[in-house]
Parts: sequence; C-alpha cells; structure tokens
Amino acid sequence: MMDCGHVRRAMLAEPSSDDAEVRLHLATCPECTRYALQLRRFEDRLDRALRVDVNPRLMEQRVVTPLRAPRSPGARAWDPPHRRWLAAAASVLLGTAVAVSLWLAAPGRSLAADVVKHMAGEPYAWARTDSPVPEPRLDKVLADSHVRLKTSAGLVSYANSCTFRGHIVPHLVVQTDAGPVTVMVLTHEELRRAMRFDEQGYRGVIVPVHGHGSLAVLERGPEMDIKTVEGVAARVLGALDWTA
Amino acid sequence: MKDPVSGNQRRARFQALCQSLRPDLLRFAFWLSRDRTLAEDVVQETMIRAWKAQDSLLDEAAAKPWFLTIIRREYARTFERKRFVTVDVEELIAKEEPMLAAADDQELVELRTAIFKLPSEYREPLVMQVLMGYSTAEIAAELELSNAAVLTRLFRARKQLRAMCGEDTSLDPEE
Repeated sequence: MMDCGHVRRAMLAEPSSDDAEVRLHLATCPECTRYALQLRRFEDRLDRALRVDVNPRLMEQRVVTPLRAPRSPGARAWDPPHRRWLAAAASVLLGTAVAVSLWLAAPGRSLAADVVKHMAGEPYAWARTDSPVPEPRLDKVLADSHVRLKTSAGLVSYANSCTFRGHIVPHLVVQTDAGPVTVMVLTHEELRRAMRFDEQGYRGVIVPVHGHGSLAVLERGPEMDIKTVEGVAARVLGALDWTA
Repeated sequence: MKDPVSGNQRRARFQALCQSLRPDLLRFAFWLSRDRTLAEDVVQETMIRAWKAQDSLLDEAAAKPWFLTIIRREYARTFERKRFVTVDVEELIAKEEPMLAAADDQELVELRTAIFKLPSEYREPLVMQVLMGYSTAEIAAELELSNAAVLTRLFRARKQLRAMCGEDTSLDPEE
C-alpha cells in the first residue's frame, strides 16, 4: 500500500488521475484527504490562470486579417507571404464562425455530458469526510454567484468556484449518510424540465431553478440510488437563497 | 475524381475545427513563448501550415495533438530565426501585464506571474496537462521523454508554483 509521501507525490504530479491505490489511501488518511482538497482548490485556480483572455477581435485582426489584407510596409520580415488562396480560405473561415458557434451548441455536447466531464476532472473532491469547509470560503464561493445556502442543505465539505462553459459556478460537495454528493449551481444554464442522467459511472439529476438557471446533483459509485440523489437535490434547492 | 461537394464539406469541417481549437492553441502558444505577439504569429503560421497539410489529418479526434505538434515546431523555427539570446522574466511580465491581469482576482494574477517564472521544461508539460488535457503518456510522447521524467517535471512545476504563490506547503511532499 502507498504511504503518505507516495500518495502526495502522485497527486501533485497528476491531480486528475483517478488512481485506485490513491483512493484507497485517501479513504483511511484524513491528512492526505485534507491535502487532496487543498490541491483541488489550487488546481482549479491553475486551470483558470492558464485560460488567459483570448480576445476574438484581436485574434481576428492578428491571425485572420493578415491572410486577407496586403502587407503593410512596416510588416516584419519573417511574416508569411501573402497568398491569394489563403485570402479565400480566411474569408470562408470567417464566414463559418456563426456555423461553428451553432456547432458548439449542438445537442451532442449535452449539459449532462459536460457536467460529468467536469466531475471526472476532479476525482479527489469526492473524499468522504465529516469536516465542513471553512464558512468564509463557502460564503465567498456562493457570493460570487449571488447565492446563499441555509444550513438545512447538510454538511458541505468542499466549495470551489469552478469554470464551467465559460462561467464561474459554485461547485459543492455535500456529505450524506450514503456518501458524498456533488452539487453544481448552474446559474447560466436554463433548463425546461428536470432530467436524470447516467454517464461514465456518474448518476444524477439536473433540475431547473426558475429564473436562476439549473442545479446539477450527482454521485459516483453504486452505493447510492437515484432517489437519494433526488432527495439531496430537493433539499439543496430548498436551502438556496438567491441574493440577485 | 474527387466529389466537389464532399470536398467543400470536408473543408468546411476543417475550418470549423480550426476555429474551435484556436483559442486553446493561442493560449498554449502564449504560455510557451510568454509573448502574446509571438504567440499570435506562431498560431497564424500554424493555421497556414495546417491548411496546406489538412489531408494528412486522418482522424478529427487527433486534431488537437496534430495542431500542437505543428505549433511546437513552428515556435522552434521562430526561435531559431529570431535567435533570442537572453530572457528577462521581469521584462516579459511587465510587457504582458494586460494578458496576466484578472479582474478582481489578485491571486490569479500572482499565479500567472509565477507560471511565467517557471523554467520552460516545467512550464510546458504543465500547460499541456492542465490546459490541453494531455495524459502523462501523451506528454512523454510529444516531448520525447520517459513517463517518469514527465511526472517528475509536473511534480516540480506544481511544487515551485505553490511555493511562489505562498500556498500552505506544510503538507507538500519532499522530492
């Protein structure tokens, strides 16, 4: 069995790995579980830090327009030479921009699939623990999305502001008798009716929240049935208090 | 003879692919070069080369690593052409301040600055893993390193970043 040093080295190198030995160790080691949660928060910030703002207008000017416009006298000597066929290609490229945005929003990229994909990248957020997340941190994460959570939601062991489909959303882990359940408050994702999903070992529900997007609740593993997940969703939904 | 309709469709798909991948490719080039203008030039040239070589992309699922390989080669070429000698990190940071800025989040700015200061042998695999979603084996193949060497670099990258950003490192493991 791996010792604490090995586990922490493994997590520091590959925080998104879902290694069975690491999970086994975390189940019995509160210190490493605390470290895993620390790392998870750091990892989310790292992900956001790397996603620097890419201004599309700027990109169009710098990356696409030079393919269409004649070179200015001041252009750098090692710029690629202007080619007519590239001008045609660039104009088609721009013309398809709208089509691309529609393609990105196609049903294939379903909301549930994106929620599951996000969760799969955060395996250590699922630690079973009875330690609540510090209150100031929980308040900060929720305040970023103009929401408060009453204590009736249950024990929240993890809270983080995550990037999801280009928006910062609260990602919480609520501990239940049957194990940890993940909650994402998707304030920007409107949904017409509640839906269940079962994908890649994750099961859950996404329920509409009138005027405030939707709420995704999911669990991992066979211990919990979908009714329990729906119960947590109802409890959290009742405990949410919108401030804007 | 090639069917012109299917050719057009294929071209349109390729253009859509370029468009969808371009933001992450630009980010990757930015973190690789730590220079926005250079990153845009590299991506511009990459798009041109990709357009010319699109027939060699047989599987769209492999597009991201395909583009990334072109970017790395193009960056290396640019590097050779421009013959950079020394790099003053503080100067780079000052020059790229607008890109490193993050509204109302000083922690994020500090982290971005720290990433700038990471040696490239740590920075590049880290960006490939976190931003581009590469597995350790994929990074090893792209950088022509062993899996163990990649894991060591990723470990050191995060360890250095955490220390530079004043994180609580009391639980961090020793090497």
